[in-house]
Amino acid sequence: MDELIPANEKAGVPAAGALGVADFLPAATPYAIDPVQSITEVLKAVDDKIPDFAKLVRTDKIALLKDVETRHVVDFATLVRLTYMGYYSRSDVRPMFGVGAHPVQPKGYDVARESNELMDSLTAPVRARGQVFRDV
Amino acid sequence: MKNEPVDVLIVGAGASGAAIAWSLLETRMRILCLEQGPHLADKDFPSRDDDYELSRFGKFSCDPNVRGLKQDYPINADDSCIMPVNFNAVGGSTINFLGHWPRMKPSDFKTKTLDGVADDWPVDYATLSPFYDMNDQTTGVSGLAGNPAYPKYSPPLPPIPIGKLGQTLAKGFNEMGWHWWPSDVSILSEDYDGRQKCVNAGTCDLGCAAGAKGGTNFTYWPMLENAGVELRTECRVREITVDQDTGMATGVIYHGSDGQVHEQKAELVIVACNGVGTPRLLLNSKSKIFPDGLANRSGMVGKNLMFHPLTGVTGVFDEPMKGHEGPMACSILSQEFYETDATRGFVRGYGLHSGRSTTPMTYALGGFGIDNPIPWGDEHRDVMDNVYPYIAGLTVVAEDLPEEHNCVTLDPNLTDSDGISAPKITYRLGENSRKILKHGEERAKEILLAAGANKVLSKGDDAVWWRAGWHQMGTCRMGDDPSRSVVNGWGRSHDVKNLFIVDGSIFVTAGAVNPTSTIQALALYVGDSIKTNIETLFD
Ligand SMILES: Cc1cc2nc3c(=O)[nH]c(=O)nc-3n(C[C@H](O)[C@H](O)[C@H](O)COP(=O)(O)OP(=O)(O)OC[C@H]3O[C@@H](n4cnc5c(N)ncnc54)[C@H](O)[C@@H]3O)c2cc1C
Ligand code: SF4
Repeated sequence: MDELIPANEKAGVPAAGALGVADFLPAATPYAIDPVQSITEVLKAVDDKIPDFAKLVRTDKIALLKDVETRHVVDFATLVRLTYMGYYSRSDVRPMFGVGAHPVQPKGYDVARESNELMDSLTAPVRARGQVFRDV
Repeated sequence: MKNEPVDVLIVGAGASGAAIAWSLLETRMRILCLEQGPHLADKDFPSRDDDYELSRFGKFSCDPNVRGLKQDYPINADDSCIMPVNFNAVGGSTINFLGHWPRMKPSDFKTKTLDGVADDWPVDYATLSPFYDMNDQTTGVSGLAGNPAYPKYSPPLPPIPIGKLGQTLAKGFNEMGWHWWPSDVSILSEDYDGRQKCVNAGTCDLGCAAGAKGGTNFTYWPMLENAGVELRTECRVREITVDQDTGMATGVIYHGSDGQVHEQKAELVIVACNGVGTPRLLLNSKSKIFPDGLANRSGMVGKNLMFHPLTGVTGVFDEPMKGHEGPMACSILSQEFYETDATRGFVRGYGLHSGRSTTPMTYALGGFGIDNPIPWGDEHRDVMDNVYPYIAGLTVVAEDLPEEHNCVTLDPNLTDSDGISAPKITYRLGENSRKILKHGEERAKEILLAAGANKVLSKGDDAVWWRAGWHQMGTCRMGDDPSRSVVNGWGRSHDVKNLFIVDGSIFVTAGAVNPTSTIQALALYVGDSIKTNIETLFD
């Protein structure tokens, strides 16, 4: 999982595995037909190739995963999708991408309305060009 | 099970069903609306939950096949490059719509005369104009008066903020010397009529728990129920019944919330089930005198299905664009390329919409309306850190032309939870639409660069957005000629004199704007015509 969404250590953004996203997967039944089956298939394919995946160097891990991806297209895609879902649904992750941790309602966001002066100056060239619809 | 007869029976409590019920209120007729979905309370909207984004891919997906709820009917779209999407509840698809509210233009009603394509509508812009205004007042529409892309009108509320993203793109349009204007939106920029103004939550598709968005669950229905319109929820109409001697509609048969099959008699039946649900219901209503489906002597029921095919281009800027803050679809709209210009190699045109961007999960999974996740691994890191926060995009919304082979039929095998045949969509992108999208994509790139984007990203293939069949039109078209159309110029079936249709299926052409403002204006116009013609309604 850490290879699917790797960390950005400099920015303090954790990788998916380190964040515990694996816990999300088995319960993800509303979002995939049979998540457990898909994950088991991918894990088995990895294990069949190399039983000690964790010990591989990073480039070998990625090469192996790419190989599994081409041979188990649907199951791998399911794993990727669910990993993204498990990761980005966490309220502690959203602020790392500039989005509020809070549920969006009722607080929302403060966005100031443009002043009339700003709107007037922005739209001035458009108004100056005149009508852009056909008279019928 | 039999129920007491009513004067007016409306099927569907979405945008159009609510508008016509409101129009008919003053007649004091007994009005009943049957809606297959439930009445959702604010607390049912996911935007109050911590993991709100997940619901976009589950029970609040806009795709009924993903939601798969009891009130949903499945749609077979295997033979279509666009999946029709909707919501089935009180409010209909205005529960999860995005509130973008442009009107159609005068030329949209006259494409045959002006451009030699499709057909002219039997109504025109000037006739609908007062109904647009009326609907804007009731719904609460925000926008800036003076848009040179339209004949004069004034939205009742000031515009919502266009934000950093809108301002940036506006400068790009100005640089190119092209039209743009703050979008009209059915979203409150100020408290209005007892409703709260928009808090810029940015997840309008998950139902607006603030009540700021103009879904009919917040606008028309509270008024209608107070005024005595009866709304029976979780009631799915199976068939419209017809007197085999007179050829008049007698009412409907429906599956009630009690699990029983009911018969409901009515003097007048109004169908408001959206551009897929309406032909489906008519095709399911076969009888001896209508063997090919009700009101289908022309053979046009289900034909001429139009969507608004979409593609998008994204600019990556140097500063964060905060695209998740503010109503999703609505910032600014350009109609520079809306009208026909023969030198472009296609007829009609398109709009360039600057929606805002979306929340991280949806972006990672491919974006709203698309469905191709971004890559995993190092590329994922790069996109989420260096692209996502900095994007502002333009969506090309193309006018689709009516083509008979694009259609809604009944699937021979698929059914809903009540065993009623489900719709099948056959749709392929027309050559004209393809050219429009290509042209729009090129112009969008130019604007983004002019606005200061350091990089422009496009999907790079010919495919239109898949899960973007938000607008379903044309499948029971209006017209003066009964052999070429299903309803007349004010929504009455040519074949069944007490049957009316009021949703987007009666559109003759699609325009290149979101349709709901026009759908509701038309529904109000049909309501008005019923009142005007009440003495001779069934002649
Ligand atoms: C995600 C999304 C975003 C959108 N964004 C915009 C936008 O920004 N601007 C815009 O203009 N439009 C937008 N739309 C489209 C807009 O929602 C529709 O144009 C509008 O709601 C159509 O109105 P309608 O009355 O025809 O159908 P609906 O509002 O869909 O209502 C139809 C109702 O009929 C009910 N029904 C159907 N069949 C039966 C039956 N057999 N028995 C009983 N009830 C039945 C359904 O349950 C539903 O509630 C969007 C749509 C979606 C899904
Ligand atoms: S952005 Fe505004 S309209 Fe959209 S859901 Fe939030 S409060 Fe409602």
